[in-house]
Amino acid sequence: MRPPARPGWEQSALRARAGLTVLLCLLAAVPAARAATLIITVQTVDGRPLPGVVVTARALDAPARKPQPIRAVMDQVDRAFAPDLLVIPLGSTVTFPNSDSVSHQIYSFSPAKRFQLPLYRGTPYPPVHFDQAGIVTLGCNIHDEMVGYLMVTDAPYYGRTSATGAWSTEVTRGRYRIAVWHPRMRESEADLERELTVGETDHAELTLRLTKTLTPAPLSERRHSWDY
Amino acid sequence: MRPAAPLVPLAWLALSAIVRADGWELDLDGRLVSSDAYPSYTQGGISGVRFSEDQSGLRLGRARLALTESLGELWTVHLDASAWGDYDRIPAGLTEAYLQFRPYPFAGYRLRVKAGAFYPPVSLENRVAGWDSPYTLSYSAIDSWLAIEVRTVGVEAQLDWLGTRQGHDFDLGVTAGAFGWNDGAGTFIAADGFMLTDRQTPLGGRVGLPNDPVLMNYQPFRELDGRAGLYGGIELRWHDRVVVRALHYDNRADPTATDYATGAIAWETSFDSLGLRAESADGWSAIVQGLKGKTAIAPGGFYLDWPFEAEYALIAKQLGRHMLSVRYDNFDVDTSIAAGDGYQDGHAWTAAYSFSPDAHWRFTLEWLRVQSNSYFRNDAFGLPALATETQLQLAVRYALGSAVR
Repeated sequence: MRPPARPGWEQSALRARAGLTVLLCLLAAVPAARAATLIITVQTVDGRPLPGVVVTARALDAPARKPQPIRAVMDQVDRAFAPDLLVIPLGSTVTFPNSDSVSHQIYSFSPAKRFQLPLYRGTPYPPVHFDQAGIVTLGCNIHDEMVGYLMVTDAPYYGRTSATGAWSTEVTRGRYRIAVWHPRMRESEADLERELTVGETDHAELTLRLTKTLTPAPLSERRHSWDY
Repeated sequence: MRPAAPLVPLAWLALSAIVRADGWELDLDGRLVSSDAYPSYTQGGISGVRFSEDQSGLRLGRARLALTESLGELWTVHLDASAWGDYDRIPAGLTEAYLQFRPYPFAGYRLRVKAGAFYPPVSLENRVAGWDSPYTLSYSAIDSWLAIEVRTVGVEAQLDWLGTRQGHDFDLGVTAGAFGWNDGAGTFIAADGFMLTDRQTPLGGRVGLPNDPVLMNYQPFRELDGRAGLYGGIELRWHDRVVVRALHYDNRADPTATDYATGAIAWETSFDSLGLRAESADGWSAIVQGLKGKTAIAPGGFYLDWPFEAEYALIAKQLGRHMLSVRYDNFDVDTSIAAGDGYQDGHAWTAAYSFSPDAHWRFTLEWLRVQSNSYFRNDAFGLPALATETQLQLAVRYALGSAVR
């Protein structure tokens, strides 16, 4: 008696192969149907890539998803904020250590967060909580030339453009509102807001060119003691 | 016990207080000078430059110690002491000493209030610690005059609208000051006229020597008439690139006021100053400034006045650790006295090269030529009224301090 195993084995192998194919198709099809890469490039008015631009993306179709708050650090090194710009989700906290040997006195009079950290060195204060979206401009009441920025955002997707002026993120398909901001930008955020639909392709690109020249960069070669 | 022994712990205490202060700076500035100039006011003469021919050689440009200490959260006290090696009668003292109130900026505005003794906000070149210039060793004629006999001994308030921190292109500031103890200001203008120096008269100091026939060893920082002087000014800044400053200053002295014990007279001095400084990202700096005013006395009701004006243009280029600066100064003192007492006019060229290998060291070579026509150089000193003086200086400066890094 010939064992019936072979056709049975072949059959089950075929079934398994078919099942695998379906599974693979499903695996490939699910993300293909729902995810895509969003690439935003920002250029200056004369077409050069602009690094360091804050980009936010908000889904217009899906219900608003809040980003997860983080705990960030903005140091003070050599009489400058380090980094000089941070993007943080709404509800995040930021610690402001002072690594200099001189005291600093940090303040913000921005509507999004008014606060003061009286004269200090080291890290004597607890983190500051940022619970309102907007731009917070930081200064030192002793060293007037110091300036730093926090962008508090409620957008689920955010980041900054790289040296090539580009920022990318994975998003689900749908319509998005893209906003950009840079401390030296003369346009308001609303001026440069764009709507972008991420359709059936695996990536969607948007190049935003500023309409106005940037304000001049702070002079870097100035000595610290130039204070009159 | 040796008499110096108690000084050791005292010196140690003072030194540790300095090092623990919020801010401190010690500067030593040595000079190698070659000059063909006449003796200046520090030697009892009249000159367009600081060092005379017989002062050529090694000199102490300036030794300076400054302290800044916070008093609580919003108050700061600043003391700036200097010594000079010109062998004159005012070799050391405080050039500035003030208390500053600096509340936190609020709603886009920043207030600063100073009380004590300090410079009124006129200079656009003297912007580094100790009211020194980063561009040249010798100050412009305008700033040299302020250094010799102008200081605010009183109160100044400055209110700034911080536009650039709110997304605008400009910051705007208004300043107002009220002061006393500057009734001597103007004497130097009418006696010696303008010169180019970096000597700053310390508070309470005297100018000139007792045998000086025109200056007579006077005290610029004296109150003779009990009337406060006032000034008001505006400052406009376009980012940190362009600054425009305007100031109206009037010491409101009573020109008839005389101190009969010392013979000191109150000089009624007022001026308007307007200046602009522009800087570029590639290291260029340009400054233009003008100052126009009048000083007057009326001893016994006999009114005499000296209108004066000075202006300069400076251009500087920084290339890494190197800086080249060139400045042209023009100045003029007129007089209501028919004989011409106090008349002066002249101009000057300054060229300087500076090299700063690090934050501590700075080497500067400066060439300065002043051409001036001075009534008193001939009338009081028997020298030719017209003179061309040239001064060449090599300065080696070493700085140490909490902010020098």
